Amino acid sequence: MSTVTATAAPTKLWGGGKSPFNVEYGKLMMWYFLMSDAFTFGAFLISYGTIRFSSNGWPNPNEIFKSFPFAPEGVHAPLVFVSVMTFILIISSVTMVLAVHAGKQMDKNAVVKNLILTIIGGIAFLSCQAWEWNHLHSEGAWWGANPFLNADGTQSSTNFTNYFFTITGFHGFHVFSGVVINIIMLIMTLLDKFEKRGHYLMIEKAGLYWHFVDLVWVFVFTCFYLI
Amino acid sequence: MSSEVALDIHSGVSSLHVENQSHDSHVHHHETFIYKYVFSMDHKMIAKQFLITGMFWAVLGGLMSVLFRLQLGYPDSTFPWLEDILGKWAKGGHITPEAYYALVTTHGTVLVFFVLTAGLSGTFANFLIPLQVGARDMASPFMNMLSFWFFFIAGIVMLSSIFVETGPFSGGWTAYPPLSALGDASPGSKTGMDLWIVSMALFVVSSLLGGLNYIATVLNMRTKGMSMTRLPLTIWALFFTAVLGVLSFPVLFSGFILLIFDRNFGTSFYLSDIFVNGAGALPNEGGSAILYQHLFWFLGHPEVYIILLPAMGMVSEILSTNSRKPIFGYMAMIGSMFAIAILAFLVWAHHMFVTGLNPFLGSIFVLLTLLIAVPSAIKVFNWLTTLWRGNIRFTPAMMFAIGFVSLFISGGLTGIWLGNSALDIHLHDTYFVIAHFHIVMGVASMFGMFAGIYHWFPKMYGRYLNNTLGYVHFWITIVGAYLIFWPMHYEGLAGMPRRYYDYSIWESFKQFGDLNRFISTVAMIVFATQILFLANFFYSIFKGRKLRSTNPWGSNTLEWTTPIKPGHGNWPGEIPEVYRWAYDYGKDGHDFISQTTPIGADESVH
Amino acid sequence: MSHTAEASHHDDGSAVKEIWKVTLILSVLTIIELILGFWMMGINSEALRLAIKGSIVILMIAKAFYIVGYFMHLKHELKNLIMTIVVPLALFIWFITAFLYEGNSYKNLRNRYDPYKKAQTEIKVHKSEEVK
Repeated sequence: MSTVTATAAPTKLWGGGKSPFNVEYGKLMMWYFLMSDAFTFGAFLISYGTIRFSSNGWPNPNEIFKSFPFAPEGVHAPLVFVSVMTFILIISSVTMVLAVHAGKQMDKNAVVKNLILTIIGGIAFLSCQAWEWNHLHSEGAWWGANPFLNADGTQSSTNFTNYFFTITGFHGFHVFSGVVINIIMLIMTLLDKFEKRGHYLMIEKAGLYWHFVDLVWVFVFTCFYLI
Repeated sequence: MSSEVALDIHSGVSSLHVENQSHDSHVHHHETFIYKYVFSMDHKMIAKQFLITGMFWAVLGGLMSVLFRLQLGYPDSTFPWLEDILGKWAKGGHITPEAYYALVTTHGTVLVFFVLTAGLSGTFANFLIPLQVGARDMASPFMNMLSFWFFFIAGIVMLSSIFVETGPFSGGWTAYPPLSALGDASPGSKTGMDLWIVSMALFVVSSLLGGLNYIATVLNMRTKGMSMTRLPLTIWALFFTAVLGVLSFPVLFSGFILLIFDRNFGTSFYLSDIFVNGAGALPNEGGSAILYQHLFWFLGHPEVYIILLPAMGMVSEILSTNSRKPIFGYMAMIGSMFAIAILAFLVWAHHMFVTGLNPFLGSIFVLLTLLIAVPSAIKVFNWLTTLWRGNIRFTPAMMFAIGFVSLFISGGLTGIWLGNSALDIHLHDTYFVIAHFHIVMGVASMFGMFAGIYHWFPKMYGRYLNNTLGYVHFWITIVGAYLIFWPMHYEGLAGMPRRYYDYSIWESFKQFGDLNRFISTVAMIVFATQILFLANFFYSIFKGRKLRSTNPWGSNTLEWTTPIKPGHGNWPGEIPEVYRWAYDYGKDGHDFISQTTPIGADESVH
Repeated sequence: MSHTAEASHHDDGSAVKEIWKVTLILSVLTIIELILGFWMMGINSEALRLAIKGSIVILMIAKAFYIVGYFMHLKHELKNLIMTIVVPLALFIWFITAFLYEGNSYKNLRNRYDPYKKAQTEIKVHKSEEVK
């Protein structure tokens, strides 16, 4: 049956009776949900940009995000820790792709292995974030409290820390939900739910979400740490 | 569940055939009361839930407007009965300023979000999309149910805010900071605002769940032969509405999250340079109140079209059906709706011309705003030319549809004035604005909604609404709407600002005392007429004239090929296949040709 | 079960190869970003800094392209699906332009009409006062 639809696809894609995109509705909804979530994050980052553009001064991120776990106090290692976090997330994205790919091959063992790696990556990222938050908090930074000065040495408003904690917090919340979703996927895989259904499409949708989290981090990382 | 079935085909290339079978099994099993009427997953029941919840809110929101119109029309009189129902909010039978602002705010929020968003597109998207595209149900009936219940809980939270000690939020439906960000700003900014924001956040979730479902259903679940260009315009309109909601509500959501932090966690996203009487200067520094307005109106303007587009779609369908003529310019209608949907995202700052917005940026927003006049005018011309030389049947639905066009023209024209940033210096925040958006967005969309209810009531309940009451309802409402809002243009041009509590103490606005009293009187009459409509509605559900044929209006669209009272799954047998567009009226000597009729051998091309 | 458009695009070996290739590209792009970031620390010229920031933003968009295109598999979907997802994102262009322009204008207006406030933001705080 699907052979027929596939060969007829080019001519009557939009003719009704089938998906014009050749995808099931769940994946379609996930895509459009991610688009709407992109607007949520977009609005956050654009607000951050707007406030930054309307301020006379802004702190230099390299002077703030410069420490590293277990490093001596006062170490000056800007961008190092956040690069580690970025790579953790990229690698966890790769393992997620591999899990999705293994799902397409109906290779249960590979799915399990890669999902576990992805979950470990997610937890590692969250731990890094927790450490960083804790470290900044110990320096006196929190919502409504900004101990750092502007790059030119003038008094800074609290909006640097306000936005940092709000946006990384919202992203961290997404990572957390992603980890929870992946754990559910892992349990479902171990219980042979997908084997019985004959496909691993749920993993694919979970994968889309996880990559989106990675994607958002690309933007957050650039906006807060690099520029 | 259909999700499982769709997944079973692995590639997701849905074969409706398989889905049909699963839904057939749905039809047969017995439904308990709870699953049939409360936690229903049938799109038709969910639509009715949206409709009736929307009606509840419409009555409440309308009643609020009557109460504050009492204050505006009779600022010097006292009404002891008001103290009986409002207690301390109407000491001595006189609405207090706090209560007045709370009423205005809640009226706006409730009408815009609960009635004209959930009540309008929630009802008709749920009801019409599966029926008109030829699907058993929504793509995800479960998410659809959640959508309603999130809306319902949002409503409960909003309702509860009316009963808290400090009253509901009273800073205007737009909830601008600092009034919304500082608890010290006004009594309503305390618990009332917390509840308001929770309610709105839940509402965003509801509209997102619904919107994703509508989009996926329209794209993926069309029956065989139902190509996008054979869809009735209702579906196109509801589709664009859903897209607008999915892309703009998240921005509001972000704005609200920042607002929550400002309220509760000492941040200053929106706050700077603030001095509160009694509390002194606040430490908040570096924020921008205008940022909130930008975020709010990034949703707020698409929201206008979220409200208006479903009405436009239904009116197109009803005008064509009851003129017994094809809709004029079908593709132009789709194109103009598409243009409106895009422009909706580009014009938000025209609500903020006088906030200190950069004038150059403002001029670009003027240009983009005035561009909306083009697709709007295309639509108006197409409606008028659809009516032109038609064989018009003046059913109540048709009357309301024509009324919609009338209101859309008269309200839309003043929009061209308001879109100019220079004129806006004089007109912003006056009664001119009130008149404009109430006519073009509020009343016009209500008319679209009434038209939809009168037209599809037979499909919903298998009975007719009473026609005579329908005509009474129509004439009083349209005459009343113009009598209420037309004079407000004059007041606004004279500079009378909106949101004032008592105009009689202003030398410049005293002259409008009689006019205000007149407006208030008409408002009460119109409100009473809506109660008449509700009586008609609920009476007809149980006692209305019964439907004898499946297609009472001689309509082409698919919903009229279902049984009079379709079960869960809509069509008892196979879903019919579609062979033509939805507007073959008066073609080749036939009064109408249903979409399910195959193209004849000697048929002319439309 | 491999009749579908997506599966026929590439078989197992090349798909995994593609994943690792994209991983490599993402890593290289990130490393370039970091190098630019380190380089920028020692630069005081405002114009050059802006140019570097611009390049970093371009690299960021390139990374986003690879993640969405390959990891999220969008590049292998039907063209219509790609369009429905990419075209609405164009709304961000005006969204970003208008907001940032407005933020900048807000700063200029405030500096111009509130000189006292501007002077306040120009007072340098001595290092010793900094909370550590």
